[in-house]
Amino acid sequence: MTREPNAVDFWRGFALITIFIDHIPGLFYASFTLANVSISDAADLFVFLAGWSLRLMAEGRGEPRPIRDVMLRLFGRALELYAAQIMITMLAIAILALSATELDNPLLLQWHNAAAVFTDPVPAHIGLAVLTHQLGYFDILPLYVVLMLMAPFFALIDRVAPRMLLPLSLALYVCVLAFRLTLPTWPVAGTWFFNPLAWQAIFVLGFTLAEPRRGAGGFVRRYIGWLRLIGVPIVIAGAVIHIFDLWPDPTRVPHPILFFIADKTFMTPMRLVQFLALIAVFSFAWPYIRRAGEMAYVGGPVSRAIRLLAMLGRNSLYVFCIGSLLSLSAQVVRLYYRGSAASDTAVVLLGILIMAFTAWLAELRQRGRPAPSSARRLPAH
Amino acid sequence: MSRACQAGASQTGEAPLPNVAAALAAKRTLRILVMGAAPGRTGRTGRSYTAQIEAMLHSALKVTSIEIINRGVSGELAANAAIRMKTEVALEQPNLVLWQVGTNDALAYVPAAEFAATVKDQIAWLKTHKVDVVLVGLQFAPQMLRDAHYVDIRDTLRRLAAEENVIVVRFFEAMQILNPPGDDTAMPAADEFERSEEGYNCLSQYVARAITLGVFAKGLRAPAQTPGQTPGQTPK
Repeated sequence: MTREPNAVDFWRGFALITIFIDHIPGLFYASFTLANVSISDAADLFVFLAGWSLRLMAEGRGEPRPIRDVMLRLFGRALELYAAQIMITMLAIAILALSATELDNPLLLQWHNAAAVFTDPVPAHIGLAVLTHQLGYFDILPLYVVLMLMAPFFALIDRVAPRMLLPLSLALYVCVLAFRLTLPTWPVAGTWFFNPLAWQAIFVLGFTLAEPRRGAGGFVRRYIGWLRLIGVPIVIAGAVIHIFDLWPDPTRVPHPILFFIADKTFMTPMRLVQFLALIAVFSFAWPYIRRAGEMAYVGGPVSRAIRLLAMLGRNSLYVFCIGSLLSLSAQVVRLYYRGSAASDTAVVLLGILIMAFTAWLAELRQRGRPAPSSARRLPAH
Repeated sequence: MSRACQAGASQTGEAPLPNVAAALAAKRTLRILVMGAAPGRTGRTGRSYTAQIEAMLHSALKVTSIEIINRGVSGELAANAAIRMKTEVALEQPNLVLWQVGTNDALAYVPAAEFAATVKDQIAWLKTHKVDVVLVGLQFAPQMLRDAHYVDIRDTLRRLAAEENVIVVRFFEAMQILNPPGDDTAMPAADEFERSEEGYNCLSQYVARAITLGVFAKGLRAPAQTPGQTPGQTPK
C-alpha cells in the first residue's frame, strides 16, 4: 500500500521534474523554472528534502529507531546511491558513444566531461569509481553519496547531543567558506561542482527543521508567521536580482568574498538565506494544494497532477536516475531536431511520462513484495 | 610550432594582453584562469592541454611562476559560465582568462544574438576589471560545417573578437586542418581521437603563441631569448 500524497513527496516530485528540465540547456521550457526567478533552485530543494527525509527515517514511527540500526541503514543507503551513480554514469557514456556513432558526430564524445573516458580511460575509470571524475549534469548523486556517508554521524550527534548538530554543521560551513575548502576532481583538474562540505549545511538544516518539537524545528513552527513575513521581501528581492541581473560584483565585496556573493558550488549564505525564505513562504501552500486536489472532481487534472508529483517523489531515486538519463537523451534529440519548439515540447512531455512510468513500475514491484519496512512509510504532512 | 599545426597558425588572432605583460614586467606569478567546455582535458601523453600551455609559456616567456587554475565545467553554456567566471575572477585574481566558448551554445541552439550579448558583456566586464582574455573558439567536426547555426555561432565569436580586439584561437580551423576532406567515417574511429588529440596539441601551441605575441605587442621589454630564437617566435 503506497502512502497518500504528502508535502515532502509532492515537493520532491516538483524538484525532480524541475531538475530534469533544467538539465537540458537551451530548452525553451527551461526559461520558466524556479532557477529563473530565484537565487536557489531545485537542487537546493532536493538536498534539503533529503535531510528532512533522514529525520523521518531516523525517528521511525512512534519511538526512535536504535541508533545502530539508523547508522547501518544510512551506510546502506550511501552504497545504494553509489551503485546508482555508477550505473547512470555508465549508461550516460553509452548514450554519448551511441549518439556520436549514429549521428556521426565525434563532438558528442567530448560532451559533458566525457572526453577523458574515451581518450584516457585508465585514470578516467579510476576517477569514475572514486567519484572524482563526474560527467556534467551527473554531479548531484556524488554529492548525495558523500552526504549519506556523513549522515550516520549527523544522526549519532543528534541522538547524543541534539543541540550541537546544527552549530557544528554551521561551524564547518563557515570554515569552508572562509578557507575555501573543497574537494578536487581527478584526472581532469578542477573542483566538485557541488561542494559536499558546504552543501552539508542545507542537508543538516533539512534534518534539523524536520524535528517538530525541539530546537530549530520547534522554533520555526512557533514563529512561522513572522518568518514568512520576513521571507516575502527576501524572495521578492531574489527574483528582482535575478530578473534584472543585479548580482553583486564579486570583486567589490568584502573578504572572505564567499560570504557575500551568490555561488552554487559553495552554497553561499546569500543562496542559503534566500532558499530558507522561499520554503518559509511556500510552506503555507501544501494544505491549499491538497485541498484543491480534494475539491476537484475525482480524476480531475489538479488531483492527477498532485498524485503524479507525489508518486515521483515517493520513488525519488529511480526517478532521479531515469530523469538524468532522459535529460542527456533530450539534449541529443534537440541536437538532431535542431532545438525546435515541437521537439522541446515532445521531449518534456515524453520525459515526464517516462519518469511517471518508472515510478509506477517501482510501486507495482513494491506491491508484489511483503509489507514495506516502516522506514519507507513517511507520515502525511 | 609543430608542422601539423603550422597551417592553422595564421588563424590565431594577435592582440595586446596588457595585464599579462604587466604581471610579467613586475615579475609576479602569471595566473591563468581556464573556463569553458574542455577543462584540463587529459591526453594520451598524460598531459592536459593546459599543462602543455604552461610548459610552452615557461619556455617562451622565461617566467618562473605560472599558475593555471582549471575551473571549466563541461557542457556549460556561456551565460552560466559568465556568472561563475565573475566569482572565480574575484577568488583567484587571474591576469588572464582562457575561455573556451561557443560549442555548447551551438549544440544547444542558443540564439546567436543572445550568445553574442553574453560574450560581449563578459569581455567588457573583464576589461573593466583589468583581466585579459583569450577566447578559444568552437570545436570542429566535419558534420558541423553543414549546420548553419553552428557556423553562425562560430562567425559571431570571430566578429566579436575582432570588434573587441581580443584574441580568439580558432580551434575550429586547427582541427579542420587535421581532418582531410572526404575522410568522414560513419564511426568515430580511433583516428578521430588522434585528430582530436592533435587538435588540442595545436590548441596549446596556438594559445601559447597568442599569449606570447600578446605580451610583446605592447612593446614591453621582451624576456631573455633563448639562443637562436627571435622575438615573437613561438616555441617548437
